[in-house]
Amino acid sequence: MRIVIAAALLAVLVCAQEASKSVWDGVYTEAQAGRGKPLYNQHCASCHADNLMGGEMSPPLVGGEFLSNWNGLTLGELFERIRTSMPQNNPGKLSREVNADITAYILSVNKFPAGKTDMPHSAEFLRDIRIESEKKQR
Amino acid sequence: MFRMTPAVAGIAFFSLCATAQTHTYKDSEWPSYAADLAGTRYRPLSQIDASNFSKLEVAWTFKTDSIGNRKEFKLEGTPLMVNGVVYTTAGSRRAAIALDAATGELLWVHGEHEGDRGAAAPRQLSGRGLAYWTDGKQERILYVTPGYRLICLDAKNGQIVSSFGKNGVVDLKLDDDQTILPDLTTGEIGLQSAPVVAKDTIIIGAAFREGMTPKSMRNNKGYVRGFDVKTGKRMWIFHTIPLKNEVGYDSWEKGSAEYTGNTGVWSQVTVDEQLGLVYLPVESPTGDYYGGHRPGNDLFGESLVCVDLKTGQRKWHYQLVHHPLWDMDISSAPILADINVNGRAIKAVAQPTKQGFLYVFDRVTGKPVWDMEERPVEKGTVPDEWYSPTQPFPTKPPAYSRNGVSTDDLINFTPAMRDQALTIISKYHIGPVFTPPVESKLGGPLATLTLGTASGGTNWPGASYDPETHIVYAYACNACLTPIGLMRAPKTLSDMEFVAGTAGQEVRNRQGPGEGVGADTPLPSRTPAAGRGGRGGRGGAAAGTTPASPPAGGGGGLTVQGLSLIKPPYGTISAISLDKGEIVWQVAHGDTPDNVRNNPALKGIDIPRTGQLGYNVGTLITKTLVIAGEGQVTTTPEHPRGAMLRAYDKATGKDAGAVYMPAPQTGSPMTYMMHGKQYIIVAVSGGNYSGEYIAFTLPDSEDRGTTAAQR
Repeated sequence: MRIVIAAALLAVLVCAQEASKSVWDGVYTEAQAGRGKPLYNQHCASCHADNLMGGEMSPPLVGGEFLSNWNGLTLGELFERIRTSMPQNNPGKLSREVNADITAYILSVNKFPAGKTDMPHSAEFLRDIRIESEKKQR
Repeated sequence: MFRMTPAVAGIAFFSLCATAQTHTYKDSEWPSYAADLAGTRYRPLSQIDASNFSKLEVAWTFKTDSIGNRKEFKLEGTPLMVNGVVYTTAGSRRAAIALDAATGELLWVHGEHEGDRGAAAPRQLSGRGLAYWTDGKQERILYVTPGYRLICLDAKNGQIVSSFGKNGVVDLKLDDDQTILPDLTTGEIGLQSAPVVAKDTIIIGAAFREGMTPKSMRNNKGYVRGFDVKTGKRMWIFHTIPLKNEVGYDSWEKGSAEYTGNTGVWSQVTVDEQLGLVYLPVESPTGDYYGGHRPGNDLFGESLVCVDLKTGQRKWHYQLVHHPLWDMDISSAPILADINVNGRAIKAVAQPTKQGFLYVFDRVTGKPVWDMEERPVEKGTVPDEWYSPTQPFPTKPPAYSRNGVSTDDLINFTPAMRDQALTIISKYHIGPVFTPPVESKLGGPLATLTLGTASGGTNWPGASYDPETHIVYAYACNACLTPIGLMRAPKTLSDMEFVAGTAGQEVRNRQGPGEGVGADTPLPSRTPAAGRGGRGGRGGAAAGTTPASPPAGGGGGLTVQGLSLIKPPYGTISAISLDKGEIVWQVAHGDTPDNVRNNPALKGIDIPRTGQLGYNVGTLITKTLVIAGEGQVTTTPEHPRGAMLRAYDKATGKDAGAVYMPAPQTGSPMTYMMHGKQYIIVAVSGGNYSGEYIAFTLPDSEDRGTTAAQR
């Protein structure tokens, strides 16, 4: 019995440490990113710019600087940062669905592949998806 | 019994006043935002050195999440330390806090709830810090709220000093030689920098919204004022945009001085208490990139202005950029330096800038230490713009960071990458420093591609100075690209003829990160609102059918395969001798970013440390070290995901150790001694990591004792 509990605990720990998927595994759909684009333009572009390059004082959401800063974290952490603090003039205003669509659009502009199912909008599920700036050979 | 004769009493009284006005601080303290009023960011402490820097441990941390009703991800403060107490601003509320310098224990906190006025403020969040004043008996803390009110607190307990101003508060939107429009609540003016107190005068500047897309050519003006630290009474005002009959008014043609605004001093002010002189770094006038509504040189826009500490009267000025069009501002504290040039002792002031020039003047006369040459610059073609035919160029020292773009600056890891970069820049106008903005055209140019403009270069953290060796240490971003394109402004957006924009894209108001984000901005109710709700309620069917194709310019626009269009080094620290006007050494600051180090396309190519992009890195210097944190996180074989606080040998620039931080440095580091131990505090935040002050010190086993002077 003890061994079983220990094994279960170990499994939980392993899951917590190592998310099972990455942004290279097709974690959003093209349609979702398509919905995200006008939402991004409406809610995000005034600071982060139409091309996601960021503004004078706002960080870019595309390219090396963005990917370096989020590399090694999970989509859950990116999603929660967006959900709780953006858009900055009304943080938390956007629904989880809208935030997921915008996040999908950001992934698409960063050239991560689209897949067959929409990105979930629960941080718990998104914590299972790693952000990796470079595709790992597996 | 000793009886004081009137004469003796007079002398005693006089000397009391004298000590009150020139309180001297110990080297073990950090009594002012930039360490001292000279803007040096220097303390001659030596317990932490190259032999032990990497052994630094976290002494304590202070998380700022609860100082305000939301987390802050942009903590930029540099704390003060006086008498064993750390004072700083923190949180989305921008509260003043006091912490035990040895333990980080919260001693007191004072926050102001400003309601609609705070919510409308142009520069919200925690700001850069506060000011401390003492006459040897009373101790006061002074800071400016997001809503532009000057607050005076008793440093001992955080209580309001009711004898100051009106119940401890001076409303900075009043008594400003102008009526702040449209009203006191929403009138655009604020400040995020730390006030300065010199002798008994508090000096306060002003800041506004980001100026890429101003709503109007008319705006409030950023005058500078001096206030009595004892009463809060206004002592003087300096008009950064001259009034009629004042010097400089004529540099605004067609009466544009009347309605143009901004031109504030949003960065740190520097003071020479002995000379009684104040040095003001003045920013751009209204319209960062378009000046067609303010023809002329626009004094004192982007000028270094010296005024009298007692009266605010102008002593001298030097305009670094005529008719500003690049948002160069003057973005950081001027540095006071007593130097020797060719055997001549000069009381100098050195000004680091976004454009990578370190301008050096005699601070008494305003005369440049090395010749400044007015050189012809490119005349632009934007309709109705006014162009200065020349701009001043310092002949020494040489520029310490890139301030123009040429094909030589492009990424060259591989020939293919360089070719891609050449293709990208073919859509842009490029050139050396002071290449003017262009009207954005779909067929090109989309914009003028610039370095050393809006971001810099050296932005608000400024530089450090060693008064013993006469060397300035300046961090600079060396690859922070800013495309400057102009579009005709839609009438619904602005009454300006042109604002920042890109052809093919909607021209929209560009915001900075300080707007609508502070604790006074109402949090949304949890009921469904615009943009919320079910899938059906999100802007109709069209939204669902828009393809997610990357925007014009290719996903990432100004990057090549996700890499910076500009080649390394991306960010540098330079040591610049003010005696010689020469760069002594220069190093890349920051680990090579993950996407360069792990890039499959770069496998097998030997790439020396690249440094990192980022404009908000500040330096600290001690007896032997230059200390600065990284502005980006990396994951390397040496350390898990995080950013390093790095030390360099001051003499050579060689690595002198590094210590791990969980998030990038976002506020400049400071240092002090407490109970015989040296501490370094740095503000970190960004990405998924909310604001935190981290105090480092050596483990007790490494504490090798200190001199009495340092205790």
